[in-house]
Amino acid sequence: MTRLRAPVMEYGRVFRYVLLLPAVLWVVGFTFFPLFAVLRYSFASYVLGRGITGFVGFDNYVDVLGSARFWHSVMVTAIYVVVSVPVEVVLGFLAAWLVHLGPPGARGFRTIIGAPLFTLEVAIGYLGVTMFSSQGGVVAVLLAKIGIDVPWLSSVWGGIAAAIVLDVWRWTCFIFLIVLAGLAGIASDLYDAALLDARNHWQVMWRLAIPLAWPVTSIAILLRTVECLKVFAIPYALTTGGPGTSTEVVSATVYLVTIQFFDFGKGSAMGIVFLVIVSAILAVFFQQMRKRLA
Amino acid sequence: MKNVLWVRASFAARATVILLLLAASIFTLVPFLWAIVNSIKTLTQTFDPSAIIPFVNFTPSFDAWRDVLADPQVTRALISSLVVSLGTTVFVLILGVPAAYSLARFTFPIGANDITLWFLSQRVLPPAVVLVPFYLLLVALRLIDTWTGLILCYSTFNLAFVVVIMRDIFRDVSVEVEDAAKVEGATAWQVFWKIALPLSLDGLVVVAVLVMAFSWNEALFASALASQDAATFSALVLASRSTRGVDFNLAGVNTVIGIVPPVILYFIVQRYLARGLSLGAVKG
Repeated sequence: MTRLRAPVMEYGRVFRYVLLLPAVLWVVGFTFFPLFAVLRYSFASYVLGRGITGFVGFDNYVDVLGSARFWHSVMVTAIYVVVSVPVEVVLGFLAAWLVHLGPPGARGFRTIIGAPLFTLEVAIGYLGVTMFSSQGGVVAVLLAKIGIDVPWLSSVWGGIAAAIVLDVWRWTCFIFLIVLAGLAGIASDLYDAALLDARNHWQVMWRLAIPLAWPVTSIAILLRTVECLKVFAIPYALTTGGPGTSTEVVSATVYLVTIQFFDFGKGSAMGIVFLVIVSAILAVFFQQMRKRLA
Repeated sequence: MKNVLWVRASFAARATVILLLLAASIFTLVPFLWAIVNSIKTLTQTFDPSAIIPFVNFTPSFDAWRDVLADPQVTRALISSLVVSLGTTVFVLILGVPAAYSLARFTFPIGANDITLWFLSQRVLPPAVVLVPFYLLLVALRLIDTWTGLILCYSTFNLAFVVVIMRDIFRDVSVEVEDAAKVEGATAWQVFWKIALPLSLDGLVVVAVLVMAFSWNEALFASALASQDAATFSALVLASRSTRGVDFNLAGVNTVIGIVPPVILYFIVQRYLARGLSLGAVKG
């Protein structure tokens, strides 16, 4: 018995590591090394060309924690995520449910509603300028005609709102496509039963579709949230952070501090503080992914 | 498939569904159309947003297209975007697919699930956190403003993605087929290369498309790490946004160029996307 089984047990004993090792080394080199590096830089005074010129203890952190610009960017990011993700989830789920009902042309609707999925975010933000500009922007002009005259791109709230509208346009399709595939996995005889005692389709959605599609939907929500925290291109291309720095998201602030002012110590400290702020959300994400992988 | 839900819906419900879906489609299509219309206007014409229908409201002009396409910076940026997207895709698949297969098939002293999760930590990290070390790493390697530098970064960001999705897909390949091959005397490498991989080709294509789309789209690292010679289209558009004012017709052209290739990719693979997008939470 042992003699027969041995070769099977041995099968791929070395091979499995040959396949896995390059990827593991890559992550160690390009994720964990940078992560330790950023921690080190955050305690240092770093000048480009001269490297670390000295360690300054918590000075960078004191700077960052006392920086109104940084906290403002955290707030803008928070508002951005808290508004756009729920709107995208609700709209994406509804659209998926409606397409799932199977109206004539369902395939066409799916293709159209999913179309923004891969569109260049920078271009969408840039296009947004031509839609929300008070000089000839189609959305701004139309809204002004019905009395909603907002200085979209020259005010804080206008800029954030316009960016959120674009984000919803760009990312609702992500939720939509995942939920639609999730709904397709529900056995159709369940609907037969549900239709018998539900008064209408609205009730079928609440009682059956939402609970059954929830596992898939919750993963979509988590993925979208984690991605949305990284937001940069849409709001930055739309307003370049302006007026002033009032519509900067965290990524934009770190980018500008790092690349324009070459303040690597402070940029690193900002990154670390932001990581701490979002770590609770990331923890939930990992816990859920662990369940899914098992 | 004739859907029981649709057959049993009342007329009012059906009408509402179709109206809502039409509204959603219009909401989705308007920005596309707006970009196209603006791209064939002259600068003066763009100041009149009510001129919407070409030939009726205004005489279309391809000046903006000619301007943009004749600009060597644009051509170079498009080539950069293409090279970086393709390069990242090829490299990250070579790196990630074998690892994914290994994690799908074999056991490890540390659980394969935990290793997979460890890969995922990479994907989740906000890029703002690692912007500084990546910048300094590329400076040290003399890879600032090069295609190689960007490919190196994007491979890092996409590796987790490839490992998680491909592992999920490999787990669906029947083990019996592989066992049969082993009995026939195939080596572990042959089983992977000649059986598992061809059977997972659909999934591989979707993952490749997702990686390509990510690389085409990425703007933060592109702007920070390669702003001149190796600037991608994303970085170029962003740079022109902050240095010049926005000419609506040029913005229209740039938008159309920026979104057409990815939308075509989307049309090709849309049926298979959900599984990849949800990191395997939806079975395709």
